[in-house]
Order: sequence, then C-alpha cells, then structure tokens
Amino acid sequence: MIEPLLEIKNLSVSLKKRDNISVAVDDLSLNLYPGEILGLVGESGAGKSMTGSAILGLIESPLYISAGTISLQGRSIIEAPENIRGSQISMIFQDPLVSLNPLKTIGEQLIKTIKTHFNISKAEALDRSKKLLSDVGIDPERIEAYPHTFSGGMRQRVVIALALAPEPSVIIADEPTTALDVSVQAQILNLLKQLCTERGTSIILITHDMGVISETTDRVAVLYSGRLVEIGKTSDVLQRPQHPYTAGLVASTPNIDPSSFDKKLFQIPGAMPDIDDVPDGCAFHPRCEHARDKCQKHRPPLFDARVSCWLSEKPGGTL
Amino acid sequence: MSFVTVNQLTRLFDLSEPWIVRTITGQKKRILTAVDCVNFQIEKGETYALVGESGSGKSTIAKMVAGLLMPTSGSVIIDNKNFNDANLEKASMNALRRKTQMVFQSPYASLNPRWKIRNIINEPIKAFGLIKDENDQHKRVIELLEQVGLSERDIKKYPHEFSGGQRQRISIARALASEPEIIICDEPTSALDVSVQAQVLNLLKDLQKNFSLTYLFISHDLAVISTMANNIGVLKEGVLVEQATPNDLFHKPQHDYTKMLLAAAPTLQNN
Amino acid sequence: MERFFCSDFFYHFRHAPVAIVSFVTIILIILAAIFANFIAPTNPFDPASLNLMNGFTPPLEANEFTGERFLLGTDDQGRDLFSTILYGLRISLFVGLMAVLLAMVMGVLLGLIAGFLGGWIDSVIMRFADIQMTFPSILVAMLIYGVARGILPPEVRYEMSIVVLIISIGLSEWVPFARTVRGSTLVEKEKEYVTAAKMIGLTRQQIMLRHILPNVLSPVLVIATITFALAIIAEATLSFLGVGVPSTKPSLGTLIRIGQDFLFSGEWWILLFPAVTLLALALSINLFGDWLRDILNPKLK
Repeated sequence: MIEPLLEIKNLSVSLKKRDNISVAVDDLSLNLYPGEILGLVGESGAGKSMTGSAILGLIESPLYISAGTISLQGRSIIEAPENIRGSQISMIFQDPLVSLNPLKTIGEQLIKTIKTHFNISKAEALDRSKKLLSDVGIDPERIEAYPHTFSGGMRQRVVIALALAPEPSVIIADEPTTALDVSVQAQILNLLKQLCTERGTSIILITHDMGVISETTDRVAVLYSGRLVEIGKTSDVLQRPQHPYTAGLVASTPNIDPSSFDKKLFQIPGAMPDIDDVPDGCAFHPRCEHARDKCQKHRPPLFDARVSCWLSEKPGGTL
Repeated sequence: MSFVTVNQLTRLFDLSEPWIVRTITGQKKRILTAVDCVNFQIEKGETYALVGESGSGKSTIAKMVAGLLMPTSGSVIIDNKNFNDANLEKASMNALRRKTQMVFQSPYASLNPRWKIRNIINEPIKAFGLIKDENDQHKRVIELLEQVGLSERDIKKYPHEFSGGQRQRISIARALASEPEIIICDEPTSALDVSVQAQVLNLLKDLQKNFSLTYLFISHDLAVISTMANNIGVLKEGVLVEQATPNDLFHKPQHDYTKMLLAAAPTLQNN
Repeated sequence: MERFFCSDFFYHFRHAPVAIVSFVTIILIILAAIFANFIAPTNPFDPASLNLMNGFTPPLEANEFTGERFLLGTDDQGRDLFSTILYGLRISLFVGLMAVLLAMVMGVLLGLIAGFLGGWIDSVIMRFADIQMTFPSILVAMLIYGVARGILPPEVRYEMSIVVLIISIGLSEWVPFARTVRGSTLVEKEKEYVTAAKMIGLTRQQIMLRHILPNVLSPVLVIATITFALAIIAEATLSFLGVGVPSTKPSLGTLIRIGQDFLFSGEWWILLFPAVTLLALALSINLFGDWLRDILNPKLK
C-alpha cells in the first residue's frame, strides 16, 4: 500500500461576509501519490482553484481554512505554509505574462530561486539553470534574455523551469494552458507528463477542460459546489462515470465529430448554485434526473473511495 | 449568388515607428499582413466556421465582415451590398447594419455594466426605428428575452447580476433585436464552462432554424466547430490554407497545418 | 434610499471613525455657512453696523470703549470675528464648489474626447495638460485673474471678481479629471459593448456620452472631493495675496492676511480662528476624499 505524498483530510475553506459565512470548499478529502498526475476538474466556482490555494497556503482574509488538515509526507503544513511553499510544493499559474518579473532576465530569476533553496555557488547555480532550461525545451543560450522576448508558450516553459528549480515533490498547475494556443498547449502538456515520469514529481493539474484531463492525467477528481463528487482513474471516470454530474459533463463536451452537426449537444439543465445558495443534501440534486427523496435531505458520503452519490449506495452501484 | 461573398479580402496594418524615429535609427517600415487574399462564401441559412490560432487573422476578418474595419483591398458583399461602397446611400447602409450583428467572446465586456437589461436590448430597436411605440418596445424586449431562455423578471436587472452563460444569452437577445439576417459569432462560448457552453450552442442552433439565420462562426476549438458548421475554413497567419465540409476536413485533412491542429486538439477519448 | 442604508458602502462608512468625523465636520461647517444669517450675532458686511472703536477686542473680553463682548474677538475694522468667519465661509464654499464644477465638466469632457478620438486631438489636449501642470496652479490662477482684470472694464471689476476667481481656479484644476477620465476611456473603448454600439450605427457623440461616460465617472467623485479642498485653499491663497475677493467682503484668506499683519503686535485671534477654520475644513475634505478613494477602489468590488 503506497503512502500518499500529500493528504488532504476534510478540508473546508469558508468566506466571512458581513452577516453570514459561506463555504467555498466543503469537507474535501483527497490524496496525491508519488509520481502521478492528478486532475482537479470542475466548472467555475467549483472550488478547484481554492483547493490549490489552500494547499499552497495562499488563502487570505476574508477567506480562511475553517476545518481539516493538509499534510505533506506525513507532516501538517497548514500552520506554516511558507516553509514548504516554493520549495517542496511549487506552482504554475495561468498567465505567464504576470508570473515572471519583466525587469529581470530569466537567468537572474532562475539563479535567485536556486540559491534560495540550495547553498551552492553562483557558477553551479548557473549550470543548473542552463540544464533546467534545456530540460523544458528552451535553448540554454537564451539565459540572458528578458521575459518579454519570449512567446506565450516559451514563457510558460520558463515558468515551469522556475517551478522545477527547487526540486519540489509536488507541482500545482492552475489552468497552465488555458491562455495558450492549441498547438502550444499540446507541447506544454506533453512536457508536464515527461517531467512527471522522468523526475517523479507529482502534479496536481487544475482545469475545466475535460479534453486536457483525458490526455494528461492519471487520476481525476471532479468537484461540484466545493465538494468532491467523484474520484478515480481517469479512463474509468471519463468512460464509466458513476456520478450523474460527471456523466453530464462528459456528455456535454463536444467532440470532433462531424456527424454531430444536426444533433443538439447534451445539456445539464440549470446552473451550479451560488456559494450562498447551496441546496440541502446533495448539492447537485436540483439538476439531477435521478434525484430521490434521500438526495434532497442528506449529503452522500464517498462510497467505494470513488463516488459521492446515493445511487451508488448499493455495493457496485452503477447508473 | 451566395448570401455572403468574401472576395480576395486583404488587410494590412502599418506597425512602423513614426517617421522621425525611423529616419534617425534607420529602421525600415513594418507592415503586418493580417489577412491575405481570403476567399469564401456563405449560403443563406448556413454556418461558415473560421478556425485558427492567435494571429491567424480570424478576428480581423470578423471585423471586416461586420463592417467595423475596412479592407485594404478586396471586398465583403452581404446580400449584394458592400459596407465599403462609397455610393451606398444612408438608408441602405443602415439596412445593412441592421442585418449584420455580432455576438462577442467576453460575457463581461459585451454588456454595458451601467445599463439595465431592458435598455441594452431595446437600444437596437430604437436605433433602427423598428418599433416606435414604447409599450410595443417593452413587449418586444420581453419576447426576445424569452426566446433566449430568460424571463420578464430580468429586464430591470443589471449585467453583474447574471452569470456568464446568462450574459451571453442577453448578448444574443440584443443581436436578435435588430432582426438580423447574419450573425457573426466571435468565439461566443470560449469563455464559458462546458455545461453552459452546451446550452448556448444549442440555443444558437435553435435560433438558426427558427429564424433562418446565417452564421459566421469564429473559434479556435475544433470540437465546437464540428457540431456547428456546414463549412469550415482553416486560417494560418492570414492565409486560408484549407476549406472543406466537416466530414472532409476531419476525416481527410489535406494541409499539414490542419493535420497538426487535429492532432494537437485535446479530446475526450471515448469508446 | 433604504437600499443605500443597507449597502456595503454605508456599512464601511459606519465602521470608519475617520470617515464619520470628517463627514460630520464638513456638514456642520456647510450648515453653519448656509444659516450664517441666523447664527451670526452681527452682519459683518454691512458697513453701517460696524464701529471702528470695537476693533482689536480680544475674545470674550469686554471692549474698553464700547463694552461689547465678542465670542472670538474682532478684527481691525471692528467686525465680529465669529460672524465674519461664518459669512466668509459662504464665499469660500461657493467659490470652491463652483470652481470644482467648472474643472470637473471641463476636465471630464476633454478627457472623454481625448481618450475616445485619439490621434492629434488627443495629443493636443494632453500637451496643453502637460504644459499647464508644469506651473503651480496658483500661478495659473493668478495669470488668468490678471488677464481678466486687464480685459474687463473697471466698472464691472468689482462684481465680476467672484466670477473671475471661480473661472481662474476652475481652469487651473481640470487636468487631473481629464487625465483620469482619458485613461478610463482608453480602457472602456476597447470593450465589446462599445463595438456592439458601433454595430447599431450610433454616432461617436452618442457612444461617448451614453455608453462610456457612465463607466468612467467613479474616480471623478474622489478627484472632485480632493479638488474641492484645493479650490478652497486656492481661493484663500489668492485672497491672502490680495488678488482674491475684495476686502470689504472678506473671505477666510483675507482674514488670515489681516491677521498676519497684526500677529506680532499681540492680536493673535485675528489670525488663529480663521486659520483653524480653514484647516478644519480642508483637512476634513481631504480625509473624507482619501477614505472615499480607498472604499471605491475597484479591488473591493
């Protein structure tokens, strides 16, 4: 039984407003294992970015962690996230334009990052930087260049190199390819996969794009209204979804299929509820065609370590 | 005669530094060919999709078809009229504007945040003089909202009270208000979540059937295009490199760039 | 109205002591100025009621000649300082308000035009703005004032002095409005709702006034508040220098000038009370404007 690298147990992130408290992430538990790419998928407002921020300790007032624990290699990291953020857990964000300091060359930024975490000479740091650049597919001779001289895709590679510099065990990538062209996106996703296999770094890939999940991740967790609704091996979850929401998401994702022209896309009726308006019981029940009485009153637990739905209550429950 | 004919459409942008700077530093003029001799036709009631990455020129073509930007050379002819025609009388120009509307990518920037929904949708009706009586205008606004799946309760609200998908519906209602014949959809669902995207695309399909609308559909997403288009044009750096029906394009792509796009697109591998 | 009292804005206001104190101060001063003729014990602008013998009476002490007492003392011409401050506030507030309105209308329109039309119009307007900003606004005001006095025939100079004052201060303060509105206009004009407006054939004026203007006004309120304080101080400065309101209807600035002359001969109250009033007014407006700016910051939306 492999020990999980990162363990999130019953995590809740709440938002304190004037006269009430809303919950952005609600009792979320999941594990990240060494050497895997875990996808966190959900629509806007589902809480996936919030979860990523919580792991990195980037939650700021009026948001706060109201319950639960996050541990890296057995040690809790909620109290002092600055110790591990940037060194054992690093991050990649969506917009490479604002992730890089426009006033410093990429070499300077890489060397500074390396020297912050390792006690080595500047010459050695320079060597490591060049190697990192070639690992991510950038010509090491461009180490003296400024970020604005790179294209969007190349900048994102630089950001990945910076994320790799401290030799972290986990990288959290929040929509890393959403702002990039399709062809560049494919390259970046391949790069992430390659780095995971070669270095054994685990990656949490946060996205709303089911296609990206399908092509890049080993396992996937589906979030809805701040709750985990389904988690499992990517091929399993996408091809045999057990939660009606996952099934709906998969069905409404258009595929390159010319025969679909005359047909309408499957659509899930309604919309994900506002953070203040989450219904009692299962958050998805107002939109679910299989909803029963029980679904309206009680929130389903995670069955089988796979799905959070009353329909799966019987052992081996399927749709 | 096709409803829309785009003929040798070309657009150049002069990105050179000012004359004085060039004289001192000796730099040459820099001209960007954003759109290079593009030809295509759209039949009435059909959807033509333009697919390409950033810098392909698809937005520039959309603006020229919409009459917002004049071509450097070549022409866009809609129902036998041309925005660029110096001889076009005001009435015909007005009619052309009324027939050509647009739905935009950003649900947040496409509605004036300080205007109520009722006024946003009523504006084209007033501008084109389609309905004079205020009560009738009011009824028409409600009718339009209901056509896109919203309701009478929404007319007094402001855009920020709606979600992204709902705002796109309001944009569509505004486009329909002028009783258009062609709607240019510029990445209308790229900023939306998957389930909302499905709702909006289905809505567009329904409206096309009900009102015999012609669409010019711009997107970077091949999967979305495959479900919407009768004909597809692939743009690379201003040049239309391939044009085919979806069946031909996806099953028998000819150009290397098309093949590359198809290979790179992340797809849900379904059994 | 009820919506306002439940709103976020009012909530923050209730919880910010600085905002409450400064706002209350401003309101009290404005009310005192409006109702000056009910509150003030005398009318200092009526030459008939003045008694030169009352001059230089210290606060609350009985005058050695007439025996009258004055709350804050009297100035060199026997005017009750308390009344004079109240009436003088009227002038300061009126000039300040009118000047701000002038600066605001001019600046917002020029900023809109420069931002939306761009090109050479933008360059010309912005170069005027740049040139004007290199001079201290008081000098600009004095320049305009001097030119006006030169142009106007002597008979109307007296009545027009307030109008000229308003115009000169207003014309010296338009630039911050224009620059801010121009910046916001540049951002807004790229948004798709403007494109949608073009697609229904609206003219440029219609787009600028109906669509863009409502969206660029929010920083204007903050700038107006701070400019109001600047205008009041500008009027006081000009009056202090002797080029403002005539000394028969003194404003706070004039009183300060008079007071300064007599400071070292022991009549300290003539300087102190008007100066403190001016300070309280300007400070309150500035503090309130600062608080407003922080609250209206888009980051908090």
